[in-house]
Amino acid sequence: MNCEVCQLKELEVEHFEIREVLRCILHTIVFHRALGLVRPKDIDLELFDITYVQCGDIEVEKKIDEKIEQFVSWVEKHPNKKSEICLSFYEVKSKHPSWFTNKIERLDWEQWHINLNVTQHPKPKAHSGKSHHSKIVVDPGESASEERSVRRASLEVSLREVLFQIIKFVNEKKDHVPPITESVIYFPYEIHIPRKFL
Amino acid sequence: MASSHSNTHTEGAKMEQIITEFFAKSLHIILESRSPYMSSRNYSGEQAIWSPSSSSSSSSGVRPRDKWFNLALKECPAALENPDIWRQSNLEPMVIDVILVQRPLVWDPVNCSPKKDFGRNISSKERCPFSWNSDQEELGCEAKTEKIIERWIVQYESRRLRDNCSGSRRSSNTLHMMYKKSVLLLRSLYATVRLLPAYKIFRDLNSSGQIRTFTLTHRVSSFFEPFTRREEAEMLLFGFTPVDTSCGRLCLSVVYRSSLSDISLESSTPMSTQFIPDYVGSPLADPLKRFPSLPVPHGSPSSLPFSRRHSWSYDIYKASSPSFSFSPSPTHSESHASISNPSSRRLPPMSLPPHPPETSSIHKKNTSFDEYYPSPNFTPSPSPSPPIYIPGNHLSKSLLRSESAPVSIPLAKLASSPVLSNRQNLPPSPPLKGTRYGNPRTDTSTGFVQIGASDEKLFSLGKDDIRKYSGMKISSNSSPRISFSRSSSRSFQDDFDDPDFPCPFDVEDDDMTDPGSRPESFDPRGLLCDPHEPGGLFPIRKSQDAAVGELVRMLKKAPPLRQDFSTSVCLSQDKMSSSSLQEQQASASIASSGLVASKTTADALEELRGYKEMKKDLLLSQAGRSNTSANDTCMQKSTTG
Repeated sequence: MNCEVCQLKELEVEHFEIREVLRCILHTIVFHRALGLVRPKDIDLELFDITYVQCGDIEVEKKIDEKIEQFVSWVEKHPNKKSEICLSFYEVKSKHPSWFTNKIERLDWEQWHINLNVTQHPKPKAHSGKSHHSKIVVDPGESASEERSVRRASLEVSLREVLFQIIKFVNEKKDHVPPITESVIYFPYEIHIPRKFL
Repeated sequence: MASSHSNTHTEGAKMEQIITEFFAKSLHIILESRSPYMSSRNYSGEQAIWSPSSSSSSSSGVRPRDKWFNLALKECPAALENPDIWRQSNLEPMVIDVILVQRPLVWDPVNCSPKKDFGRNISSKERCPFSWNSDQEELGCEAKTEKIIERWIVQYESRRLRDNCSGSRRSSNTLHMMYKKSVLLLRSLYATVRLLPAYKIFRDLNSSGQIRTFTLTHRVSSFFEPFTRREEAEMLLFGFTPVDTSCGRLCLSVVYRSSLSDISLESSTPMSTQFIPDYVGSPLADPLKRFPSLPVPHGSPSSLPFSRRHSWSYDIYKASSPSFSFSPSPTHSESHASISNPSSRRLPPMSLPPHPPETSSIHKKNTSFDEYYPSPNFTPSPSPSPPIYIPGNHLSKSLLRSESAPVSIPLAKLASSPVLSNRQNLPPSPPLKGTRYGNPRTDTSTGFVQIGASDEKLFSLGKDDIRKYSGMKISSNSSPRISFSRSSSRSFQDDFDDPDFPCPFDVEDDDMTDPGSRPESFDPRGLLCDPHEPGGLFPIRKSQDAAVGELVRMLKKAPPLRQDFSTSVCLSQDKMSSSSLQEQQASASIASSGLVASKTTADALEELRGYKEMKKDLLLSQAGRSNTSANDTCMQKSTTG
């Protein structure tokens, strides 16, 4: 079985936006791979005007939150650095089963690479050079907040693009998805930071 | 041979059932997020008791229809009602139009008439008897605009049965694959409906208790009228990857407005004033003219005729219980029960009361003036209906207060009322964050499939479909702005120009050009006659005029101020020459007494002068008497000595 890989568009986020962005993306992907009986849950983002869908499974929610916190801790140790979270779906197959050995093999059949560029924008400073000569008093707070709102709007647009990217990928590539089994709600998955970023 | 034939027949029946349920499920997913108040979001209560691991159909909260495509959805009567079969077969497409219905901000009962441009809907209704518009009859004579903001098309295209199922195994695999792909497609549909611009409207309608001038409705049919070129230019197309079946393919696509920012969707933002008919005014408002009561739906804004979410009887879905092994479900007709019937019962749309939606916000802005200036959006009417708008009570209290304290009516505040300035400087209604959705870059960069793209990802268009979609193109240009009229009703203005209204405060109109500069002067008539005044302020001034008129009458009837002048005389004696003018000015500054006060003061001053003269005379006479007596004494002394 081939492994389909999807590289999502890179998002430039600030530290406080990481959790929301990652929750949105990870839950959207998992929802599309939770092919068992689910009761979806709509979640409105607080920072953005976007509603995403969770599969409604508490275990999934816990696991995703846990991984996000690990990622946030990692980011705090490696600030202002491009990073990636990989969400991979795998199948467990026993390799060369025999009487004595029963090696279990994990085969990824799908990988999602979520690329983030966590930036830490400096706090607003007074434009002292201009204030002497400029008749108009420029409030540095206003310009910084405007800049932030522009960045926020741009990030929202990008996040929406990423979500549609996920939907498109899910639509276009279906053959590699393993068959649905009745007892399984969602395919086993793993969330990790690739080694090259560690 | 016979067994393979029967297997094929069974597989075919299963396929039909899957296709039928697919239509139903997709309709449910779409309407669940487009029918306001028809569904509740995130019924977490049910989730708490729902056990996803339970496979039993009798487990709590899992209905038979939930198991189809492993997607348990919320209640959506819009998708579930009218279970009659309106689609003849699975080959008929299902077209779901999501319509944005906007009502004008000012409800003009005079010009209440059926809107003429229902012609398009009517023609489509005539053409397709199975289509229906849920709000054509409900909204009656209110002028409103309808705009299709989304059009979903679910279609099953059958292919020629060249290769019949060669074996049951292959067809079984095909069925499994088809079912899995259908599950995936419906998952992505579920996520997509929440990312399109119309979802925000739905969410706002559901979540907010504010009065809206717009609502969402829908129309389900198997035919549709093609969009005009102008409409096509504003729409984008998104096509889901079709799901291949052994005999055709399931196709799902949506054409939607890329941006709703051009549509003015004000809700609770301030708007121009308008009459609130049937408002019970203050009892002091007797001299006010009686206004004709207007047909108004009674009740507060909270008593909107919402169509409450009613529990749906699951009896219809008893039999339709899918399992992954595709055990045939009972009858085909029951499986069709999930498809809404467009020809019968419709969803009552959310009808809006004629009250201005932003009265609450105006009220908030005017909270500091509530004592004297309740919301302008009321008219004191002697009709016994209860006041619709709360601030009227404030007016009653203020009038009573002013009656008991007959001095200063803060006319300065009225004259330079921020209410006026607020109304003139109303913030533009905030766009419904349409810019967030309407960014063409977003739409183009997501790679939305163009209708002309030659790929298999789009559903293949039949000749008829090409005709229907002809001219439709992807456009990232923003649509032309659609102006949204917000004219205020001023038809009642003339009612206030009553020459018989006793108003002692007649001042020339010119004096009211800058009311802020003359806080002492007050010309309610002048204000009333001002054509630029928002109509809503007239009732307030009228009632205040009445109060002032009452006050004036009381002052006129009041006894003269002679008794009170003892103190004023003492004070004026000290500063006679310089204070007289000041007193005159001071007295004139008491606006409520006006001419009456000045007259009384003038009389008092006259009297004062008279008293002074008298006093002088007395003193002189006393002096003269004393001189005379002194002279007499001297003369007597001189004669004796």
